[in-house]
Amino acid sequence: MSSVDTYGFINAKMRARLGKMREEAVTEALLRAPTLVDAIAALRPTRYVALTRSYDQSGDIQAIELVLLKMEIALYREIAQYLDGAEGRFIAELLGKIEIDNLKNSIRLWYSSIIHRRPIRHRSEYIFKEVILHPVDWTALINALSWDGVVQATENTPYRSILLQHTEDSLREDGLFQLESRLDRIWYEEIRKATSLLKKLDRQKALELLDQEIDLKNLLILVRYGWYHRLEQEELLSLLLPWGEVFESKEVHHYIETPKENRSARDLLSHFLPAEHRIGDSSAVEEVLRIEELLAQNQKKAYQRLLAGDPFTIGIALAYFFLNKEEFNRIKAILNGKYYGFDEGYIRGVIG
Amino acid sequence: MNLFTKPMRLLTAVVLQQRSDQVVKALLQLGVLDFIHISRLEADQLAKLSSKPSTTNRVVLEDLRGRVEALLKQGHLSLPGESTLDVSLLEEPQVEAYRAVLDDLTQTLLALKEKQKVANQALLGVEEMRRYFTESKWEYLDLRIGSVKEGKSEQLTEKLSPYGAFVEPIDEEFVTVLSLRRDIAQVDPLLDKFGWTEESDPLLQKQAVVLVQSRLETEHKRLIDKRGEIEQSVKRAIVERKEELFAIWSNLRLNELSDQIKSYFSYTRNTALFSGWVPVDQAENVRNAIVEASGGQCVVEWTEATEVPRESVPVAVTSPKALEPFQKIVNNYSTPEYGTVNPTIFVMIAYLAMFGLMFGDVGQGLVLLLVGMFGSRSYRLNPEKKEGLLTRNVTNLLVYLGLSSMLFGALFGSYFGLPLLPPLWFNFEAAVEGHAPATALVHDVYGILGITIKFGIAVIYTGLVLNWVNLFRKKSYVTMLLDKNGVVGGVLFGTGIYMAFGFVGSGYHSFPSDPWIIPTLVICLVLLFAKPYVQHVVDLKHNRASKTFGQVAAGSIMEFLVDVLEIFTGYLSNTLSFMRVAGLGIAHASLMGTFKYLQSMVGGVGGVLIFIAGNLLVIVLEGLSSGIQSLRLNYYEFFSRYFTGRGIAYRPVGLKRSSSDNR
Repeated sequence: MSSVDTYGFINAKMRARLGKMREEAVTEALLRAPTLVDAIAALRPTRYVALTRSYDQSGDIQAIELVLLKMEIALYREIAQYLDGAEGRFIAELLGKIEIDNLKNSIRLWYSSIIHRRPIRHRSEYIFKEVILHPVDWTALINALSWDGVVQATENTPYRSILLQHTEDSLREDGLFQLESRLDRIWYEEIRKATSLLKKLDRQKALELLDQEIDLKNLLILVRYGWYHRLEQEELLSLLLPWGEVFESKEVHHYIETPKENRSARDLLSHFLPAEHRIGDSSAVEEVLRIEELLAQNQKKAYQRLLAGDPFTIGIALAYFFLNKEEFNRIKAILNGKYYGFDEGYIRGVIG
Repeated sequence: MNLFTKPMRLLTAVVLQQRSDQVVKALLQLGVLDFIHISRLEADQLAKLSSKPSTTNRVVLEDLRGRVEALLKQGHLSLPGESTLDVSLLEEPQVEAYRAVLDDLTQTLLALKEKQKVANQALLGVEEMRRYFTESKWEYLDLRIGSVKEGKSEQLTEKLSPYGAFVEPIDEEFVTVLSLRRDIAQVDPLLDKFGWTEESDPLLQKQAVVLVQSRLETEHKRLIDKRGEIEQSVKRAIVERKEELFAIWSNLRLNELSDQIKSYFSYTRNTALFSGWVPVDQAENVRNAIVEASGGQCVVEWTEATEVPRESVPVAVTSPKALEPFQKIVNNYSTPEYGTVNPTIFVMIAYLAMFGLMFGDVGQGLVLLLVGMFGSRSYRLNPEKKEGLLTRNVTNLLVYLGLSSMLFGALFGSYFGLPLLPPLWFNFEAAVEGHAPATALVHDVYGILGITIKFGIAVIYTGLVLNWVNLFRKKSYVTMLLDKNGVVGGVLFGTGIYMAFGFVGSGYHSFPSDPWIIPTLVICLVLLFAKPYVQHVVDLKHNRASKTFGQVAAGSIMEFLVDVLEIFTGYLSNTLSFMRVAGLGIAHASLMGTFKYLQSMVGGVGGVLIFIAGNLLVIVLEGLSSGIQSLRLNYYEFFSRYFTGRGIAYRPVGLKRSSSDNR
């Protein structure tokens, strides 16, 4: 089957939807809405009408977030059903990312309930509890009385081995950060395996994007934990995802080996960001945020370039997922901003 | 209905500035003036004019109106329409007051939504327990029976409420406590504080289960009702202020329109000038309205459309409401040029004939007719109904398509694929399947192909004649006579048809050799070659020549070759394209034949089901293909002969199309 046969239909469908997305200009309408009620009203004539129904019924933004998550999962499943074989498997495997985020959220709730002894009433109902990719027993997980129960809930999934590396005591002591980093890493391992089965052109495109994302994540880790939080060498190294240009670069290894007090994020980033995007001398928190924004913009540009390239590759689907995810995140951020009464200018600044 | 686009006239008026507001209201009320900016005055005169900055920001007005519309929608109230707009009620918009009203209502709604959120979260907590209870997931629940030795059970209830636990008295001594097992580490110490003493009587345990289940159900229902009640309160809060919102909306909309009109006004120290296009039949009304509104202190001048370049005149096309679906087909393509033929009626005839030829069946046509009628009725009864796959226009179109299909079905003698009555013309299915009697008017697929080709020739010639009429009205005589779509092109096409039919008539052996053929072809080709030269001479005569003779000569050879190529390949392909009409008709008959065969093989109820399913499939698939192909033939084969689509649409500013949905 030629790539035109495989992606012709998807390409047409995705582009039509992207056109509609641009036409609706949801973000702009939401930003201009003076209150949450007006923002919800702005969603009514758009493809997000299901969100407004949920809000009308519950009055709760968390309910909207659950609907958005369901929409996102449905999106992946829809595209996966148009593709067979390795391409279909690859798209299905992308759902693993959502599953891991859902798993992290569930574990955080469990942690809050059992370790911190805080009630998680109603919050547990906003967890997506159906099968996403692997048979995680979500209900058992959030009701587990011990860490063993949590591990038990992830039986027959690739996450079990990661969870087994931790104990309730170690989590109580160290928090969830290391565990979450390991879970993130396992998704990259799985998705890279799925990538290896793709045809050459698709594989190149997918790996290019994955490596770009990994580079971005690694840079964020290096800046946030290496420079801002000043983690020790080994600890910092263990957080990095072991792929991509950044991980393999000499500059990064030099940066890690530098005594933590002397690390310079500016020197590090000068190798990876264009001159006009070099960071300044303002406070560290602002700089970290600015760097994150710059890196996210670079990633967005890369996906937009994909749309202008060969239309008959897996790239179009990946760009579509990315742009959708971005819009979903913006909607969540704006609705939350409106809920807390922030003005348009402030929210605009936060969402970039 | 006009056979041609409506004749237009350009108005230029001067009124006293102090009367300009009344004039704006009068023009808004009439809603027939398509305004243009004044730019045709001499430069020194233009310099004396100024535009007045608007006292209100139109974006602000639009935003506020959008907020009102959103609130009305949330209250499930229909948006105000034209009927609520009354120009006499137009007043200065009180933007801050309107904003205060909207903010106040929004704050009320936000407070209600916050209450709804709390109720919803409580409901979710109960739902979780209720689910575990009904699904017997006891491992997640903790049900205890015991007695409180210190304090009161009401106090215990209050302390346990953050965990969503239920405390239910069983009798005067014992109470039961239901909580989630994951909260046990927090619930246990609280129970200890109240001197909790566990009781293990199995009878009490049974009682407790029944009590708790009943409490869960009651609580669940109460919270659902509460949440729903708040949702209703949100609607009520909006409905209560309906009149206020309607009044704000109307004044905002009127101000937007009034501001839109004023933006076309230019001012001197004491006067206001404006200009715009009006259909000739409305010109007198407009003049009277301006004279009346300005108290007679005005100057109104008219310019005929013939005095300005044709391409700058807006095009108004009117068709009876019944022809609306076909008018939309034309509008979707483009706007005709000013002064040319209104294609709607021709599109209607061609479209219906093509569809009928492809999808001729009385029964299936009746289904389309009924779907169309019910769909149209449903939209009529519920104007706010959201358009689905079958839009308003499609349902209206289906009524016509159904009738066309029924008419052609009767001509072909097909009733749900069955020959219930003898055909009025010929039996299409028999011709396709090859068992039509030799005496039949059409007895094989070649006969059907022949009919559709002749139909195509008729459509193309109609297009050519309409083109000649358009060119004559535009006074483009050279093009009308010598162009590939002009008379020369028509003669060449006719000669080609004559030769093709002669060739087929000879059993595909030889072309006709009538003595007039060669001279006709030669003369037509010479005329075609001469066209740019003749055009150049005419242009020189009217002082509008843009090319030198050398440039014309250089381009003429290439133009001639392209034209010849286009005439021979274009006309041929356009004509043969109509064979698709036969193709789809044959596919339709073949599919029905197949389903009938399957039905006869299965027999009984199964056979009837196959017959029904087959008809449904054919109606959906063939109906859709026939509709699309008819559209294609109209747009490409028919329109390409005469419809340039270079017109600009007439868009008067008025009270119509006033809600955001319509714009």
